[in-house]
This record gives sequence, C-alpha cells and structure tokens, in this order.
Amino acid sequence: MKRCCLLFVGVFALLAAPTRAAEDWVRYTAQPTGSLVKVEGTSTIHEWSVETKLIGGYIEFDPGFNLEKPQTGKVNAKVEVLIPVRQLKSDKTAMDTIMYDSMKEKDHRRIDYRLNEMTVKEAPQSPDAPLLLDTKGELVVAGVTNKLQMPVTMVRVGADKLKFTGSTSVKMTSFGIQPPTRLGVFSTGDDVKLTFEWLTAKKEPAK
Amino acid sequence: MNRNETVELNRRDFIGSFATLMTLLGGVELVRRTPVQAADLETLVPFQVRCGVIGLGAWGREIVATLSRLKTAQVIAVCDTYPASLKRGTSAAPNSKGLDDYRRILDDKDVQAVVIATPTHQHREIALAALQAGKHVYCEAPLANSIEDAKAIALAAKAARKQVFQPGLQMRADPQRRFLLDFIRAGASGKAVKAHAQWHKKQSWRMTSPNPDRERDLNWRLNKGISLGLAGEIAIHQMDALSWFLNARPISVTGFGSLIHWKDGRDMPDTIQTIFEYPGGAQLTCECTLANSFDADYEVLYGTDAAIMMRGPKAWMFKEVDSPLLGWEVYARKDQFYKETGIALIANATKLANLTEKATDEAAYTSTPLYYALESFLTNVNAVGSAVEDFTANFGTGDRAALEKYLSEIKLQLAPDFQEGFEATVLAIKASEAVARGAKMALSKEAFELT
Repeated sequence: MKRCCLLFVGVFALLAAPTRAAEDWVRYTAQPTGSLVKVEGTSTIHEWSVETKLIGGYIEFDPGFNLEKPQTGKVNAKVEVLIPVRQLKSDKTAMDTIMYDSMKEKDHRRIDYRLNEMTVKEAPQSPDAPLLLDTKGELVVAGVTNKLQMPVTMVRVGADKLKFTGSTSVKMTSFGIQPPTRLGVFSTGDDVKLTFEWLTAKKEPAK
Repeated sequence: MNRNETVELNRRDFIGSFATLMTLLGGVELVRRTPVQAADLETLVPFQVRCGVIGLGAWGREIVATLSRLKTAQVIAVCDTYPASLKRGTSAAPNSKGLDDYRRILDDKDVQAVVIATPTHQHREIALAALQAGKHVYCEAPLANSIEDAKAIALAAKAARKQVFQPGLQMRADPQRRFLLDFIRAGASGKAVKAHAQWHKKQSWRMTSPNPDRERDLNWRLNKGISLGLAGEIAIHQMDALSWFLNARPISVTGFGSLIHWKDGRDMPDTIQTIFEYPGGAQLTCECTLANSFDADYEVLYGTDAAIMMRGPKAWMFKEVDSPLLGWEVYARKDQFYKETGIALIANATKLANLTEKATDEAAYTSTPLYYALESFLTNVNAVGSAVEDFTANFGTGDRAALEKYLSEIKLQLAPDFQEGFEATVLAIKASEAVARGAKMALSKEAFELT
C-alpha cells in the first residue's frame, strides 16, 4: 500500500512539474484594440485588400528571458495567434462573400499561427529600442498548414504592453485556395501580402 | 475582362446609340441599373439569419414571403394570435414553428432576429421585450402611435449596442432611391423648391371577419383611437423619403382630412392632405385617398434646375431650359409624359456600359423596396452578430468600451436606424394630428430629438 502511495505521488509530481513550469511563464495576451492585420492582393481590375482589427491569442516567454535586456540568440517562447476569417473585410460585401467561400470559412473559421522558433537578431541599444526577431512558425489557412518564416519587430509600449509588427508574402494556392475569378470580368493574382500589428498586454498571474 | 481591353461596339450598337441620342431630346428616365452578378456569387449562401416574424396580417405575410426569397434568411418561427392568420403564415414558411404568443419566439434561443409586423399600437411592448431578449429587431413603421411609445422604442434600441434595430422605412433601402439621393445631394436638380407625394388607391381598407371581436382587431386601421390612418400607414414612407432627399426636418405641418366615400361607420378620413414647411421655404405636399385611383402613387422633387419624379422602381428627370448641361443626359433614354420629356435616371449605367451590358427599358431593380430593406437588415445582423461573437470569444465581455468601438467601426449596409425611425414616426403622428384638427402645427427641433 505504501509503495502504491509513493508511486502515485511520484507520477503526480512528474505530471505536475511541467504545469508548474508553464505557470511561471510570462504571458502577454492580445488586446481588443490597437491591432490590425491586412491582406493585400492584385487582380486584373484593381488591387484589393481586406483587413481586421480583431486578432486574438497570446505570447509567452520563458521566465528566464530578460525583456529589459534581451540577448542575441534563441528565445524560449510560445505564440498562438488567431484571426476569425469572417472579420476580414473589404469595402465590398460581394467580394467578401467570394473570399470567405474561397477560404472555406464555414469549415475553417480561423486563421491560426503557431510559433516554432524565435531568435533575437541583434540586441537593442536601449530598453525602448525595437527588438528585431527572426521567427519560424506554422500558418494554418483554410485547414492547410504551411511553414512560415518572417522577421518580426517587437516594441515595448508603456510598462506592460508589447507590440509586434511584420509582413510576409504567401501564395493562395499553397493553402489550397484557388485565386477567385469571375469569368470574363476579373481574375486575382496568386500572391498576397500579409501585414500585421499585434498589441499584447502582460497578464498578471492569478493569485 | 482586362481593364485595358476596349469595349467593342458594332455597327448596330452604334446606330442604336445614335438613334437613342437623337431621341433623347426630351425627358430622361432616372433608372438605377442592376449590378452584374457572377453566377457563382448568386449561388453562394454567405450566411443565414434565423428569423421570427410576429404579426401575420397581410403585410406580415408579405414579409414572410419576402424572407423566403432571401437566401440569407431562414424563417424558423412565426406568430399570430389569430389561428387563421397563423395557419396562412406557417403555410408561407413551411419549416417554421407556428406560435400564438410572441414571448415564445423571444424565449427561443435559436431565433436571432425578429420582424415586428403587428398593429402599430402593439409595437412598444413587443419591441422592448425583443430588445431585452437580445434579439435583433426589424420594426415596421411607424414605430408607434404615440410619441411616448416611439421614444421608448428608439431609446431602447439606442441602448442595445450589440443588436441591430431597423425601422421599416423600406424606401430608404431601395437602391434606386439611394442612387437618386446621391444624385440630388450633388445638386443635379438645383435648389429645392418644393416636393409632392401622392398615393391614390380606391379600396375600403375594411376587411371581413367572422365575429365582432375579430372585426375590431382586424380593422384596427379604421379606429381613430389607435391608428394614425393614412398619414401613419401610407404617407409616412413618402414624407420620410422626401425629407431625406430635402436633407431637412420640417418646421410645421398643416393637415386636412375628409371622410367622403367609405361611410360605413368609420370615423377615419379616407382622403387627406398635408403640407410640410421646411427651413428656407421649401414645402412638401402629401396627399392620399382611398376613394380614387387616378395616377396611383409617386413622388416629385422640384428644384430650380430640374424636377425629379420617382414612380416605384423608376425615376425621371425633367430639366429646365436654363439648367446646366450635365453631359450624360444626351445619351440617356427618354420617355414622353404628355407634353414633357423625362430623362431616365439609371443607377450604375456607366459601370454597365463598361461591362458591355446593354441598357434595356426594364426597371433595373425589380425586387420590392421591402426586399432590399430586409436584405440590408439581414446583412447587418450578420455583421454585428458575428462581430460580437468573435470579439467576446477572444476578449470576453469585460471591456464594453472596446467592444463598442469595434462595432462602431464595422461597415454596415445603408439602412435607417432608431433615430430615423423615431423622426419618421414623429412626422406621421404630427401629420395625423394636423389632419384630425384641420390645423397648422409647429414642429420644434426638440420634437425630433431623443432625450
């Protein structure tokens, strides 16, 4: 019986250890204002763009990461970003309808991003200077996952907020999306540019 | 089509255009053209709003029928206290539940939006309960038969920031009139001189019923105690639309009314005339009769450079000889009206020409204003509803100010709101009072304000 109890305590300790560690991570959560993601593309008629200010998610840093004085090299961080597809809007309702359909919105309601690797490219000269990061992650659009590598700039906003900005280009077809066309009227280009500003604020640990 | 490609014009097209040009030395029809829709766009169902319709009289059933034609609507519940009307309503929406108490629709979590088409004096109780229940509300116009009730509804709608409230002022959602609004506001008709609206239809308004109780309920429009009569049930739409075009609120209304033909025991006038006076001197005359059908219904806006006549889905401009040349009117289609020539006003005509779609004599927008009004309502319900859902899923409900900011930045379809619904209702109530008194009544600025 005693051996059984010890075994149980041991297993519990093993299971609890990572949870405990995760609780110590410093989390910054997405803010309801101050963010923007824009998707821009081309067509045979004119350039088009859709955007939303609604970007959810969070970023967590290993407690060992010194935000005041970051050093060059890999950062132990977790990032999850989510964007509701139907909040991406242009100024044309019909175009939005076609876009949602192309992105299979009814089955895949969100665009997701998960970070795999983050590296500080160069140490900033001062605590308020932008921090240049190289990131590698996975972007999930219309249910298709692709690796994504992009430079990101992090700026401190006040005492407890971080703003991330960046941009990258992707191909619609790499996510299984056929560039929308209207026969005889227009066709859209395969390449789209993603630009984002993402504001997060430090979440105080629950007491 | 590549934008660099040119539109090919064959000899027949050219001769046709030239002939049209030569014919057009008269009146020009002002017609908004239907935008070209891709086949796949027509078949797409971008979203569906689950609706309940409360009140299944003739107009309520028209609403059910219209919603059934809209791919973005799903009528899942209908309600009326009268079994025969309820039966007809459920027949028009076969997949709906038929309920005899509106509160059961409001209790149904699946119902996202309700359309209130009950008699006007019942709107307040139902609209307030619907907003309280978190439903999006389309409330028929007038909002109420008293200023107090209309104000209560409008203030409740104003406070319901996460919901869409749209009054049933369908002319404001009509694409043809929206096109004309821009045209008129751009100064195409010159300085506004006066406006005129009429609605002529020989019909009794009295409906037959199986018993006296039902007769009283069914013919509520003939009851002076609860109905605003022709001013509230008919003229409100024309008064509102023309005030919208004039971009002003009237400062007085004078009314006259008589019971001339339908002397069947009613005390409600069957013929009315109202005159609204606007700042700067422009006047709107609005007349309705149930005793004669000649010339049906239309609105005319008279400006120093041109008069613009609107009849159903069509419009024409009648230019003064000394008015400036706009340029395009020489190419437009023209129709003869006795000794006057009207230039057809067609929305999106230029865009259509670019897409090589030929102009026709048909009205561009063939659906009813009600169709477009409900279409706008459903689109806005989806936009606001999905924004609230996605926002709260990501950020919770704690930051109300941030949510309201997010909602305020959403681009919505142009549609009337609670303020415009209230103002139109004030117009109808005051006009009805003026008709009843046969007198001129001043309209203060404060009368239109929600406080």
